[in-house]
Amino acid sequence: MAALWVGSGHLLARCSDPLEILSGSGPVWRRLLLGLALCGTAQAAPPPRIDLVVMPAWKGWSRPGRTTELDIRLTTDTATRATLDVVAGRQSGHVDVDLRPGRAVRLHLPVGSAQAVAVSAAAPGGPPGQREVSIAQSESPLLGVGLATDDGVQLEGFHTVALAADDLPRNASAYASIDALILDTPTLSALDQQQLGALVAHAAGCGRIVVVNTDARVRRVLDGAGGCGGHALMSATSLTQAKEMLDASLAVNLAAPMSPGGIGQLAPPDPRIWNRVAVIVAAYFAVAALAVLFFSTLPVLLALPALATVAVLALLHAMPSSSQLVVWSEGASGTQLARYQAWQRFQGLVRGQTRVAIPPQLASAALPCDSAQAMRFAFDADRGQALSAGFETRLFRQVSLCYSGSFPMTRAIAIQAHSDGLRDVQNAGTTAWPDGVVLAGGLAHSLPALGPGAHTTIGPNTGKPLRDAVLRAAMARTPPDGVAALWALDLSGVAAVPIDSTGWLLVSLPLP
Amino acid sequence: MIDALTRRMAALAGLALAAAVALWWLGSTRLALDSGSDASRSADAALQLLWLVRGMALVLLGTRVAALRGWAPGLAVALGLVAPAWPLVVLAWSASAAPFGHVALLELLLLAGCLMLPLLGLGLRRALRQTSVADGLGDALGTVVGAALAAAVWFTRGLWALPSS
Repeated sequence: MAALWVGSGHLLARCSDPLEILSGSGPVWRRLLLGLALCGTAQAAPPPRIDLVVMPAWKGWSRPGRTTELDIRLTTDTATRATLDVVAGRQSGHVDVDLRPGRAVRLHLPVGSAQAVAVSAAAPGGPPGQREVSIAQSESPLLGVGLATDDGVQLEGFHTVALAADDLPRNASAYASIDALILDTPTLSALDQQQLGALVAHAAGCGRIVVVNTDARVRRVLDGAGGCGGHALMSATSLTQAKEMLDASLAVNLAAPMSPGGIGQLAPPDPRIWNRVAVIVAAYFAVAALAVLFFSTLPVLLALPALATVAVLALLHAMPSSSQLVVWSEGASGTQLARYQAWQRFQGLVRGQTRVAIPPQLASAALPCDSAQAMRFAFDADRGQALSAGFETRLFRQVSLCYSGSFPMTRAIAIQAHSDGLRDVQNAGTTAWPDGVVLAGGLAHSLPALGPGAHTTIGPNTGKPLRDAVLRAAMARTPPDGVAALWALDLSGVAAVPIDSTGWLLVSLPLP
Repeated sequence: MIDALTRRMAALAGLALAAAVALWWLGSTRLALDSGSDASRSADAALQLLWLVRGMALVLLGTRVAALRGWAPGLAVALGLVAPAWPLVVLAWSASAAPFGHVALLELLLLAGCLMLPLLGLGLRRALRQTSVADGLGDALGTVVGAALAAAVWFTRGLWALPSS
């Protein structure tokens, strides 16, 4: 019995050699009991303890229906593989994390702005650690102010949230929580690379940002990053000027991103699954009618529908799933970034839960297009990006995922109008263009492929009416006092996109 | 020979009913897909319709055929009416929001009806023989009982409505 007093390491050593226990002196039953007691005691090692700290971005402020971010820190005293679950309204997230003692794991997960977000972390055999975070839902627009000084800023109708550098999110999608942002140089300098990347992506997406007293280094980072022709990203020399610039900017409507429904209308629904089901139904009725004509015995009349039922179920499970991806991107001529909205539609086949992979290059901001859609995302712990999405589906059910973000763009157009109505279009950038379309005067003009510096002439009578949905959408998004060029996007470089993928890039510039 | 013809006609009737519902369901599903609306509503309605039309046809023909020809022919006709729609029921359930248990229960009710209604027809046939009623009147009585039951199925259709999950 002395063995019971020693440390668990010794007990494990004893337990690993049961023959040694069983070959000792005394009755067999006593030795068996002793062996069982030793093994049971040895395996009752304390489970890993996980410390969980959760901080919401924007000091816990957001707006109803928007996206925000949780900063989650996990530490442990024992090496273990933990699972982290986040539940925000009808959406949830799941991450598998490898934890090491003495090393904190930090995750930045985008979440919907539910009033209460539940976070739980559990290691195998251990009790889950749970935290509930409240997200304040502001009815008023939110103004984020990141200033090293204690100066207060108020905009009429806005709720002001004072921010430190660490309150800014690492996911661009979390910038949806605020409506305007003022940052000074010390706060900008304290941002890490991920935060800067998210800030630049937000600026490219026409987020209203005023930077105060910026130095040359910060200006270099932000130069050309502002979307909407640079109107959304402003630079001020004082806080008073910053407030005036924001007031003036808020008086002007910036181009809102295309709505998910609008993007969805650019791709007609894929009829393949419906066609296959229609063929299966027609084939069954044809075979059944023939069978009834040639056989009239009850077993045949019963066996045929029964077998057909099994075959129908098998066919539904064997059918390849289908999804469509549509990417709509737009930017101003000569700017470095284009913002995009992408929309991926999945059509269901069988009843039950399904899991779909998310293209890695679009995963930085993946959300269900319908906020009422329950969805469970699996995140990559290293990159903090969604890997896959799981949701309930059924035959013909269409579930859509929406993505947004920005990508580098090098399209610069120079258009010169002549008195005779001709327009000279020149590739003023450094890379060649593929074939495209120029939208001007309510008409679509063919634009040939042009190398850097090359130009072409568009006549006043060469335009065609806008007959397809893409051209009509492009014209609707062209500024009234501008012209635009539209190109099909080459999505071959985007990993894991479905075969049915289409994308467009709309580059606009003021009318000459 | 007559029994074989009756079975064949019943099976063809069952196929025709299922085909009509399939045509309506696939058409309305295609419209829903094109307009981006919820296709499960038409699937729910198709399941309801399949149950209702088969139930009404079953009580009408199963009882009548059993009253005229006996239990076994009545059972064959009843099964011939109900079974051809099974593949369509599975497809419509896959597209619907209806719980599996409820759909399975309704199918089991139909199968129970296939067994019980011919018994009712058989009972009617024996009762009419004992009272020496003319054959024509027995035929009419079988039809009336079947029609009354079919009407009962129609008027109580709210009781069998499929809940959405």
